[in-house]
Amino acid sequence: MAERPGEVHRLEPEEFLQEVQSFEFWFQSVEGYLTGRRFGHLPETPEEDLPENERDRLITALCNYCVGETAALEGASGLVAIAPNRQIQIFLSTQVVDEGRHLEVLLHRLRSLGVTDPEQEIQKRVNRSLLAFKRRLFELVAGKDWEGSIFAQNVILEAMEFSVFQAHARRADPITREILDGIVKDERRHIGFGENDLGRRLKATPHIRARLGEIKRQLDPLVLETFEETLSELAVPPDERTQLGRAYLAVVDRLGLV
Amino acid sequence: MPDFLSGYSIQNWLESCPQGYLEGTEYGHPPGEIEAEVILGNERLREEGIRTTVQLVVGERCALAASAGLINAAPDEGSKRFLATQTLDEARHVEIFTQRLLDLGVKKAEIEDVIKLHANPHLVAFADVLLEKVDKKDFVAGVVGQNIILEGMAFSVFEMMYAANERLNPKFAHTLAGTIADERRHVGFGENRIGSLIKEHPERKHEVERMQKEMSYNMLATFGDTFRRSAAAIQEGQEMGRKLAEQGVLETSRTQWHGANLNELAPDQLEDLLAETVLKEFKVRLSRVGIEYQTPTMP
Repeated sequence: MAERPGEVHRLEPEEFLQEVQSFEFWFQSVEGYLTGRRFGHLPETPEEDLPENERDRLITALCNYCVGETAALEGASGLVAIAPNRQIQIFLSTQVVDEGRHLEVLLHRLRSLGVTDPEQEIQKRVNRSLLAFKRRLFELVAGKDWEGSIFAQNVILEAMEFSVFQAHARRADPITREILDGIVKDERRHIGFGENDLGRRLKATPHIRARLGEIKRQLDPLVLETFEETLSELAVPPDERTQLGRAYLAVVDRLGLV
Repeated sequence: MPDFLSGYSIQNWLESCPQGYLEGTEYGHPPGEIEAEVILGNERLREEGIRTTVQLVVGERCALAASAGLINAAPDEGSKRFLATQTLDEARHVEIFTQRLLDLGVKKAEIEDVIKLHANPHLVAFADVLLEKVDKKDFVAGVVGQNIILEGMAFSVFEMMYAANERLNPKFAHTLAGTIADERRHVGFGENRIGSLIKEHPERKHEVERMQKEMSYNMLATFGDTFRRSAAAIQEGQEMGRKLAEQGVLETSRTQWHGANLNELAPDQLEDLLAETVLKEFKVRLSRVGIEYQTPTMP
């Protein structure tokens, strides 16, 4: 019988990986926070009447989240093909469906806010730094660079989304907050996988540290520009933006790539 | 986004699959269920179970690689999201059939060697034809190969195996039941999505038909090999089923599938029944999407 998510830390390392990278574990993890919700929120959660300027800012933020989640969906599905073993392929498949779900709930939220053609709206409002990040991620995946791709996708991109979504959820309307809280729970699992996998690889092959450090240097400015633009759109005060930037860097720096 | 795609949303998938027919299962079957003693206690049947399950793992690994690979080739985000659910479905199938190998006594460290040893070369060739299209990001050929040919074959094979195992080995039959429900959804998506794309790109038909012919040939060759190699085990299983039925232990005397009693057919007749069923389904499904079925050369 599969262990409950809270009990897996008692397992031996190999069994631990096998457990947390399985469909069964994913299923147990998500059913608690997805059961009873439709498109990421409880049906009874009230729709807040947003002033026009706030609604417009929310739409811009959601459009950019859709770009980030599309990058994550396509990145994760590309990673399935280059995963170093079957167990990791299965974990990445759970991530593929998580990212697809994020995209779906965000598009659904855009429609509920009155956006009739989300694709067109996304093209109008997308942040250029985020698009540049997406291109670089796809280059890494297409180049079959496992460590570089998993670093860009499961550490940098997921950490960026984690920080922004958490900050946004704190000041969001009730429906958007529930949607973002659900996404953040998934992101935590994805970051955990990325840190664990890369941590073991860095220990076994320390020479990859320099390459990942170089990727970090390329991507940091794009992430920080995206941060700045999105957080100002959400009216996050400048000092809090700085704190969030530091929090993001702290997540990435846990791997010791400074 | 075409309207039909709303029926293939992740929300619908969550409600119908993980929170629906898989709710309360463990590796696809009720918790605590084990392989039937008639399989575990008979070396020939256990080995046959391993060989058969290896083919399922090989097929599902191909389906996992294909569905994940097609996400980046999909022309619309609705199809990408459906393929995301299919990717996880296929990963689950890989997981549950790999677990069955462990349940049948294969040691964890030997799984890959056992798969290499027993993987049918024609099935590997069948997978290669499809994965070549996926590698080229050919969405139309990829979806026909994956969601109509591969999934159509899997659907009939699983149904036949379900009928044969329903009473003899309920744990395996329950595992198959969930995969059959998944395959039905995948085939439905393929038919719905590809019809309109073929209309938009009629110039692709010839190439897709050639792929179908090649995949069908490899499928028939796989069936031929499998039923020849497994003839003794199949007959022993049928005999055991008949004895248990006579003793009143199991009700296996009438294992019906497509109008035939599977317990009464010889291995070559079983092969013919399966091949005819799958090819008939191909013809119907391909004609629905505007592709003319091509009769393969007989292996």
